[in-house]
Amino acid sequence: MIKIYVTSVPVEDQGKALDFYTKILGFIKKKDIPLGEHKWLTVVSPGEQSGVELLLEPMAFEPAKLYQRSLKEAGIPWTSFAVDDIGKEYQRLCNLGVQFSIAPRQAGPVMIAVLDDTCGNYIQLMQEL
Amino acid sequence: MPKENKTYFERKLERIYAEDSLPARQYVQIRQSKAFMEKYYSDRVELNELAREAFMSRFHYVRIFQRMYGLTPRIYLRDLRISKAKGLIRQGLSITQVCLDVGYESVSTFSSLFKKCTGYTPKEYQNLHNSNLE
Repeated sequence: MIKIYVTSVPVEDQGKALDFYTKILGFIKKKDIPLGEHKWLTVVSPGEQSGVELLLEPMAFEPAKLYQRSLKEAGIPWTSFAVDDIGKEYQRLCNLGVQFSIAPRQAGPVMIAVLDDTCGNYIQLMQEL
Repeated sequence: MPKENKTYFERKLERIYAEDSLPARQYVQIRQSKAFMEKYYSDRVELNELAREAFMSRFHYVRIFQRMYGLTPRIYLRDLRISKAKGLIRQGLSITQVCLDVGYESVSTFSSLFKKCTGYTPKEYQNLHNSNLE
């Protein structure tokens, strides 16, 4: 059986990203392996520490930077994370100073909100209704 | 806080959901049936009962549920039960107890579904969890 074990978000600065993804969003650091000038740096959800890892991937490739910037300018989220209570999470993150481009709203069978991860991406939060 | 000027993404979202042909009432009905599964997954849950909960025919119910959640109610219930089972195994319950607690009457059916969904038999999953703890 094939499985997804890692996915990634491109980040400008891995140290800053680790802070945001752990201290603000609440993920847990799982792997931190030096690889030349960058690291293989992953975080996991506290509830699924043996689940899919999120790689905080350094943006060292120019065309990828352009792609990332174009998505951000269009307001398109790089990826989406699930939360249990989007209203509560929105409030918690707003209190921590996180900026949202879209406040919680219904989108068909789900509620979504979109935040700025301060690392060059918009990230969508989703609560399944 | 949200910006005044809408992004390309937000405009697209609004267009998509403005054109979405599913009436709001159906979303609510399907959600009710999903909430029913989340509450009664440990009991015997029949498709007819779920469709009734959503005030729809069986056929229509399955079609709308799949359109909303991307999988059939049957698969949703199976995945929900297996996810609950993983939690109960991690809590240290016996496989037979877990099987009954998540709504399966036969341990062999439960074990084969568990294996299909997770890649491990319940026993292997239990051993894996115990060895991780050590």
